[in-house]
Amino acid sequence: MPDKVWMRPPGGGEPKEVEAAPEILVPLMVQGFSQCEPPEEVKDDVREHS
Amino acid sequence: MSANIREILIGFGKGKQTDIATANLVANVWQLKKLNAALANPKLNTESDAEEFGKGHEFATQVFKTSWDITGMIEKYLSSDIAAWAMAFGLGKVVKSGASPNFTYTCTPLNPTADGIELPYFSFIEQIRPGGSAIIDRMAVGCAVEAWTIMVGSGPGRANSKINIEFVSSGKLTEPSGITLPAATVEKLLPSASLTLTINGVDYVTSKNIVSLEFGWKNNIRLDAGFFPGSGFQTTGDASSGAIRGRLECGDRQASLKFVARFASGSTELTSLRNQTTGTAVIGLQYDANNKLTVTFYKVSFSSAEVGDTDGLVTVAVECQPQYDATNGVLSAVAQCNTDGICQ
Repeated sequence: MPDKVWMRPPGGGEPKEVEAAPEILVPLMVQGFSQCEPPEEVKDDVREHS
Repeated sequence: MSANIREILIGFGKGKQTDIATANLVANVWQLKKLNAALANPKLNTESDAEEFGKGHEFATQVFKTSWDITGMIEKYLSSDIAAWAMAFGLGKVVKSGASPNFTYTCTPLNPTADGIELPYFSFIEQIRPGGSAIIDRMAVGCAVEAWTIMVGSGPGRANSKINIEFVSSGKLTEPSGITLPAATVEKLLPSASLTLTINGVDYVTSKNIVSLEFGWKNNIRLDAGFFPGSGFQTTGDASSGAIRGRLECGDRQASLKFVARFASGSTELTSLRNQTTGTAVIGLQYDANNKLTVTFYKVSFSSAEVGDTDGLVTVAVECQPQYDATNGVLSAVAQCNTDGICQ
């Protein structure tokens, strides 16, 4: 399975997960994207409502 | 007791400092060997009151500490580990991927608009007989890579694949360093015999024509701009201890690439020069599947091509003009090694 990394666009914004291949990473890095931590998963609230 | 200069130990931040003034922690420092004897001696710049009026003469009666400079050069056989480090700290932008034993560092120059122009910082430690009776034990804090140059030559020895790394510092000095260096990292060398090289559509290794190759990067760091109102002092809060830099920013950056190849009937270098043909230059060096360096110049033309001789054989010495490609920039480096945490 190809390795993947999370990249954040310049100026903030939604990070996206991309394949860690130079032909994908380099254009993003040149545009100003930077590596970031994966976003925290948003979990559904599964509590029962009374 | 006198010491042999070969006792010198160097260590530096494998990871980056959190900011220019905060030294690397020992856990983030590695020790590597080097080839050159030169030390990164701190230089204290001073000024005097010689030109001030009111003394009755033109001579100095007082000297003031103005500022501190620390610069250094690391000359090494090229290994996957130092290549990854130099690419990441020298170019300034890095994405780490992979897992042990194959960590991959994809490196590009900073995008000034998005990333700013401040380079990643590391601490540099020099020691001779550290401990109670140390001869030298000091740490330059807040260093940045000014330039790196990789030289690949013909021949079987390790000296045919080398890297030189120049660095500059904020001037902040910690003495003694307070660092116990770890054992030297066992590096994986990237020898000349592993070279792959294609420039402007010509595979110089398959044709057995390449003689030597040199490529590099220079940040032209704005040293004077490191001193600004509030940039700080050698001893925090002591205005008489000399100013230190509070930032190290790249100036007009330069990429370079030149090579010497055998010149034969059908060789295209002179035609490419005349036509200003552009193409990519892809340089590869390898130890094994997990230890490699690939540097890609995305658009180069030839700025000069001079026919001469090497050891009695006709060769052409070519200087390339790296250009900016709208999609990929000037160059990228993909460095793979067994070492985790470089420039992280």
